[in-house]
Formats: sequence, C-alpha cells, structure tokens
Amino acid sequence: MRQGKHTVGHQFPLLITVILSLLAAPVSSDELLIRITKGADSAIPISVVPFTESGQMPAGEKISTIVRNDLQMSGEFDPLAPEEMLSLPSKGSEVYFRDWRLLGQRYVLVGQVSSSGDTLQARYELYDVSQEKRLAGATASAPKSAARSLAHHISDRVYKAITGVQGAFSTKLAYVTLERSGNKSVYRLQVSDVDGKRARVRLESDEPILSPAWSPDAKKLAYVSFETGKPAVYVHELASGQRQRVADFQGLNSAPAWSDDGRSLLMTLSKDGNAEIYRMNLANGDLKRLTNHWSIDTEPTYDHTGKGFFFTSDRSGGPQIYHKSSDNAEPRRITFGSRYNARPRPDATGDFVYYVHQRDRSFHIARTDLESGEETVLTRTESDESPSVSPNGRMLIYATKQGEDSVLTVIAADGGAAYSLPASSGDVREPAWSPIVR
Amino acid sequence: MKLTAAQKALALAFTLGLMAGCSSTGDTMGEEDGMTTSGGETSGQESGSTVYGGEDGSGISSSEMTEEQRREAEERAMEAQEQAMREITTFYFDFDTAEIKPEARDVLVAHARFLQANPGQDVRIEGHADERGTKEYNLALGERRANAVQRFLVVNGAARGQTETVSYGEEKPAVMGSSESAWSQNRRVELVFE
Amino acid sequence: MIGHERDKGDEAQAPWKSPVVLSVFLHSLILVVALAGWSWTNPIKEPPPPSISARLVTPNDPEPSRVVDEVDEPDRDEERQKAQEEQRKREQEAERLQKEKERQEEARRIQQQKEQERQRKAEAERKREEQRLAEQQAAKEKAEAEAKERARKKAEEQRRKEEAARKAAEEKRRAEEERRRQEAERKEREEQERLEAERKRKERERQLRESQLEALAEQAAQEREAEEQRRKEAAAAKAKQARMLTESEKYKALIRKQLEQSWYPPGSATKEMVVTLQIGLLPTGELASVKVVSSSGNTAFDNTAVSAATSLERYPVPDDRDVFEKYFRKFQIGFNPENVR
Repeated sequence: MRQGKHTVGHQFPLLITVILSLLAAPVSSDELLIRITKGADSAIPISVVPFTESGQMPAGEKISTIVRNDLQMSGEFDPLAPEEMLSLPSKGSEVYFRDWRLLGQRYVLVGQVSSSGDTLQARYELYDVSQEKRLAGATASAPKSAARSLAHHISDRVYKAITGVQGAFSTKLAYVTLERSGNKSVYRLQVSDVDGKRARVRLESDEPILSPAWSPDAKKLAYVSFETGKPAVYVHELASGQRQRVADFQGLNSAPAWSDDGRSLLMTLSKDGNAEIYRMNLANGDLKRLTNHWSIDTEPTYDHTGKGFFFTSDRSGGPQIYHKSSDNAEPRRITFGSRYNARPRPDATGDFVYYVHQRDRSFHIARTDLESGEETVLTRTESDESPSVSPNGRMLIYATKQGEDSVLTVIAADGGAAYSLPASSGDVREPAWSPIVR
Repeated sequence: MKLTAAQKALALAFTLGLMAGCSSTGDTMGEEDGMTTSGGETSGQESGSTVYGGEDGSGISSSEMTEEQRREAEERAMEAQEQAMREITTFYFDFDTAEIKPEARDVLVAHARFLQANPGQDVRIEGHADERGTKEYNLALGERRANAVQRFLVVNGAARGQTETVSYGEEKPAVMGSSESAWSQNRRVELVFE
Repeated sequence: MIGHERDKGDEAQAPWKSPVVLSVFLHSLILVVALAGWSWTNPIKEPPPPSISARLVTPNDPEPSRVVDEVDEPDRDEERQKAQEEQRKREQEAERLQKEKERQEEARRIQQQKEQERQRKAEAERKREEQRLAEQQAAKEKAEAEAKERARKKAEEQRRKEEAARKAAEEKRRAEEERRRQEAERKEREEQERLEAERKRKERERQLRESQLEALAEQAAQEREAEEQRRKEAAAAKAKQARMLTESEKYKALIRKQLEQSWYPPGSATKEMVVTLQIGLLPTGELASVKVVSSSGNTAFDNTAVSAATSLERYPVPDDRDVFEKYFRKFQIGFNPENVR
C-alpha cells in the first residue's frame, strides 16, 4: 500500500502517511496481543433441535435425527442429546441464546419439516450461539422417497457454514460384504449412503469380489470379481446394471483405479510375468505398461494432479508406497516408517496420502504429509485395512476386525473420533467413498 | 510342530509300509497336523491297498529273491514312497515370502515326476495369503507363491502347459481365525489335480 | 631595604650630595644655627615609611586566585565575584598608596626646595658674614687687646659651645639610636604583623579550602542522595511495572487457556491463517466489543475466532485497576492454528 503511494509521487500525502504510521506504530506495539495457536481438543458442541413436523411424514428416521448423526459421524461435532435441551425452538425467534450458552453449545440448528402431497419441505436455520448470529438458513425440498437425501443435504450445508468445507454427507459408499454359511460363501457388492443406510446390493457372487472403485462421475464402479474362478476387472454401470469385463488376462487382473476423466483405468496385471501396473484405455482396451520391475507393483491410484500415481511395491524388500509423477518418471519412495506400508489413497488436495501401515504386529491406517514427509498413525484398532478418504478430505473410512468379522469405521481424517457404521450382517470390507456429485 | 513336511511324509510312508491297510492312523495324523486336504482320505486308502500286498513276513521270503526281484521291490517301494509324498498337496510359506521351504522340495519333485509321467494330467496351482496386509498386495503375493511352485514343477519335469496358476490372496483361508496358527496355515499354495 | 630605597631616591635627585658633604654642611649649618639661635634645631621629621602597606598587599596579590583555580573546578560565580572584589580593593588600595607616596614625594620635594632656599640664604648670609668678619678683623686688629680678653672669653664660649655641640651630637646620636631602635621595633612589629597576616591569610585560605571541600562534600552527598532517591524511585517504578507485567502475564495466560478451550478451528484452517481481533473489556471482565482488525481471508475461520472470543461469559481480568487499564481495557487476540496444515 505504502509503496504504491511512493510511486504516485505526491509528497504531501506520503508524508502524512509516514507520520501517521509513526504515530500509530508505538501504540499498537504496546498493545497486548494474545496468540491462540491451538483449539479445543473436543468436538464442536452443536444442538440439532428436533424439527417440528407437519403433514404426513415418511416412515423411518426424522430429518433432524439424520442430520445429528451425520454431524456426529464426521467426528468434528458433538451434538447435544435432545433430552438435555432446555427448550425446543423451531425458528430463530424462539432461540434464547442464553439457554444454549448455559448448555455450553456453540451452534444451534432449528427447523420445520412439512409435507404436501409427494413433496417434503424443510426450513432450517443455523445460529452461532456466542455471536448470537444466524450463519445459514434456507428452505429445501425433495420427494418424500428422498427424505434421507434431504437430511444429508442439510447436513452438508450446516457443515459448510461452520467449517468452510464442502460437506460429504450426500456422497455414497461402495463396499463388499461376505456372508459365510457352512462351506458356502456369498459375496455382495453394495452401495449405501455414507451413514450406511439405504444399502443396495449391486452384485452377488459365491466367489470373492474385491477393490470397488468409483468413476469420477460416481455413476460406475470398477471392481475385481472371481466369478469365473479367476480374478477379472469389471466396469459396472450402477443405474442400468450393465457390466463389462474389461480385463481378463492370464494371471492377475486387479486393483482398478479411475482416471480423472473416467476414460481409463489403472490396474495390476501379471500377464507379462509378475504384477505390474498398466493403464487401460476403456474405449479400445489399449494397454500401457507403467512399471517394470521383478517385484510386486500393485494398488495404483492417481494423485491429485491426475498425472502421477501412487502404488505399492516390494522392490525394497517389503511393501512400501511409491509415487511416480508421470508415466516415465522414476518411482520415488514415500514411506519409510515401518517395513509394511501398502494400498495408498491420496486425498483430493494432494496434502496427504493414507495407507495401511504395520507397526509391531498390528496393521493400522497411517498417513504421510506429502510436504513434510511426516507420518502419523491414525487408528488404534488392529488389523485395519482399506482406507478411503472422503472427497472433502475430512473423513476417512476403513475396515477393521471386530471379533471374527470385519466392520467399517469412519474417523476424522486427522485421526479424531471414530464412528462405526452399523453393518448389515456378517463381514463388511473394501469400503470406497464416492466423489461429490453436484 | 518341528516336524518338517518331508519328515512327516517319510514318517507317513513308513507307517503305511509297516502297518499296511491300517488307513485310520494316517488320517488321524494328517488331521492332527492340519496338513492334509480333502483328497487325503481317498488317496490314503489307495496307498493302503497298493503297498506291500499279502501278509507273508518279509524276512522269510527275502532270501529267495533274485537281484531283479530285489530291484523291482525297491522301485516299488520308491514308487510307493513318492505316491505317499504326493498325498501332500499343500505347501506353506513364511509371512510376505514366496520361498519354497526345503522340506517341501522332495514332495514337489515327486509331483513334478508324476506330472512328467502323466502328460495328460493337469494341475491348478492356487496361491493364498493370510489375512494380514492388504487384499490386493496379498493377491499378488498369492500369485507369487503359486508362480514359485509352478516354476519348481516345470524345472523338475512338468510341462508348463499342464499347470495353471491362480491367486485368491487372503480370500479363501484354510482356517478361520486371527491367530499365528491360523495365519501360518493360510499362507500356502495348494495343488489341485483335475 | 627601606633606607636603601630612600637613598636611591636621594642619589637620583642630587648625586653630588653624599652624606659626608651633607654632614659637613649640616655641621656648618648647626654651627650657624647655634650661632643664630635654636629655632632651627628641630630635626627633620622623617616621613612615615610610605611603602609598608603596599608591601603588605603584594603577597596577598596572586595567592588566593590560585587556590580557587585549583580547587573549584565548577568555577562558582560568587567566588569569582569575591575574588574580583578583592582584586578591585587591592587595586584601589595600591592606587591610594601610590597617591599617598606621590603626595609624600611632593612634600619632600617642597621640603628640599625649602632646604635649598635656606642653604642659598645661608650662603648669602655666610658671604655677608665673611664680609662682616673681614670688617671685624680690621676692627679686631684695632682692638687686639681687648680682643684677647674677648678671645679668651670667646674660647671659653667656644669650648662651652663645643660642649653643647657635643651634647647636641650626643643627643642626636641618642635620637638616632632611638630611631633605629624604634625602626627595629617597627620592623619587628611589621614582621610580626606580616607573619600574623600571613597566618591569617593561610587560615583564611585553609578555611576557604575547607569550606570549599565541605561544600563539595555536601554537594556530592546531596547528589548521592538524589541519585539514591532517583534509583529508589526507578526501582519502585520498575517493580511496579514488573508486578503489573507479571499480573498481566498471569491473566493473559488465563485468557489464552479459556480461549483455547472454546475455539474450534474449522476444518478448512491452515497454518497460514491468522485472524486478529480487537477486544474491548469492562473492568468486570465482560466483553464490551469485539472487532476483526485483520481477517484471515476465510470467513468460516474468522467466524470461529469471533465465536470463541464472544463465547467467554467473563474474561479473567486482574483486580488491579492499573493493570486492567494498561493491558486489558483494550487488547488483541491473534488466532493462528499450529497443529493443522
């Protein structure tokens, strides 16, 4: 600013500026400054007041309950139980900030839901208790059959208003369940909301199903199925149920990963001897080999630039994460923290890469800061597998053992509070978080 | 647990030879060791019926044998031993390796000779891993183990065309559970003769 | 010295008048006077020695200023004035003495003129006497006989006169002795006086020096005291400042702790984000005003900071009103997370 005035060349205003700044400087420097460099360890206290309802409500959970659970699941919020609320306002004029302040609440969400015919309408308002200020407020509507979508939409808006980050509550999860009865095993590829609800089976097989991967438009899944007795890569269009077996070569056909444009897949093939990474053009099936090493190279995944990719290789002895910044670049090793680090999953911003990490005899999910190289172990559970980052980079889902079975757990991406998804039945594994679809 | 596969195989062969027809013993042992597969029972019965038929004491008739007879008997004994070894179709591995253990070599050699002798016989080599680590990496690891066994068979006489490899990774454990015992039994290659 | 000076003065005036000549002349004169009568016999009163006081002044002249110069570096005005005053007085005195001397000189000169006049007259008288004696000779020769008797009477007379002259000379000698004695006494007295003056001067100097030293010592003591006072006051001020600072640090830490517990940095927060708030408090600790003085550029981030600042029911503030006014009436809070990207 001041330099700009220099160039203008008006000496007088410049002089005044300098004098003013000289006068101002000692005053401000004398003033006490308290620096706050860390925040509360606990989650943000928020009250999602049960929305008042009018008209015929669809069966199932209430909108406000779904919103409350969403916020809870994120690990960043600590919603107050409705029983503990002193009042149940449904609009801004009914909110007595003092009450919420006494309850230690930082935000209050109030709202009303009404139905008319087939349409469900929700009016909601979000208030900052300490500032006594309205942060967000809108009216949203959806078909009755999409009540949960309406709720997740509100969750996204609330999340965005408070954190400044796009919510990921309207996204989907793909995962595989395994049901064993006697000698028979049934594998099911399923797709659900991020809270595990509205799950639908997309593929059922007696043979293993592995590695579901979302296309960038969230309309297709690529996965590995053993339905023919050996692994093959399939692309499955969810809306139509149409499937295409895109890779069925001698040996391994596995670990599909979509390119940003959705036109090609990275995958692991061993048709040329051992596990190597290839890129397949989905339009014509052309392959380009991207790694060439006697070791195992697998689990490829594009980085945030869409040009380079991460993968697992045991070229150093045990499995470790490597990165290639382009097709022809030399692989760069990313992980060094232990002798077993595999299945990389980068976030959308390129800040971190998440992976399975062995420490002592346990397998955890860890992440490495790609800028500093600093590694953080995020989970305390054992036998953790298949990390998948939410598209906004704020949450992480992974599979872990609970007794004999595997369950899915959501945690804050920095390792915060954990939230177990209620599994439908049996073993749940291989979660994949869908992109945000606008 | 210290008994190696080869030692077990030899023990099995001797047991079968000395107690011909007594099939139950081998089964029990196999089950205890957790190393036989579903095919074990039938082949055990087979071997029981083929090795050393008759109940005449070996000590009485041996002096009357000609040199030729003696060689024939040795070959038969050898064949019986190999056949007994071929009862073993599962081979175990250490964590995150595809190295064939020394005790498995004789057995695999027996399988290779068998395949060489029977060109019409195909074998499916199934690679497995324990549940630890990632599924895709384990898939590749299972394949590496299967490939290791395949190479060994081919080097020892089997035709590549007789073999087929497939990896199931950690998807088809032999034993359920998350113990070192279960894991050690799940890190394996199985030969499936079709 | 004194005589010598006076002799010199006589020589300069009439070098041919040696004391011998003068004595002969005086004897002649005495004879004449004796013949003429006793009216002239009063000895010339010596004028009082003119240079006594002047001589007393001189040693006083340069001395005191040296002491002043030496000791009193600060060069006090008062003393300089005093010294100047003394100098001036001395000069006046010298002038006065000079005038006195001149006046005496003048008197002596007049006296000498008178003397010369008298001598000249005496000469004329003598010539006339010789004339008369010659006539008398003639007469004497004429009357020798009677003259013999007269001569015998005259010799007798002469003898008696000589005796008188001798007595007069004796008298004069005694007078001279008396004068010398008096002179010696005077000199002794003068020496005594001079020594006394010297002693007094030294005493004065000593007193002056001592008083100066005392003044200096007193001044130094006063300065020390003032310095001590200043030091005490500074220490007290510093202690108070330190106490206030300690007090402010204590409450600063309390406020920081409460804010850390009530700040929920949003998910979008990065290490680079800083928002600074201007906080105004009431002495009760209640929030009077909060204002974003420099934004992080991220609305959600700024919001969480303001939220944290406004969430405190009561800020912990010191009871000491000075500390409150100085540090907590108005202050700033900077929110800048470290444990994020």
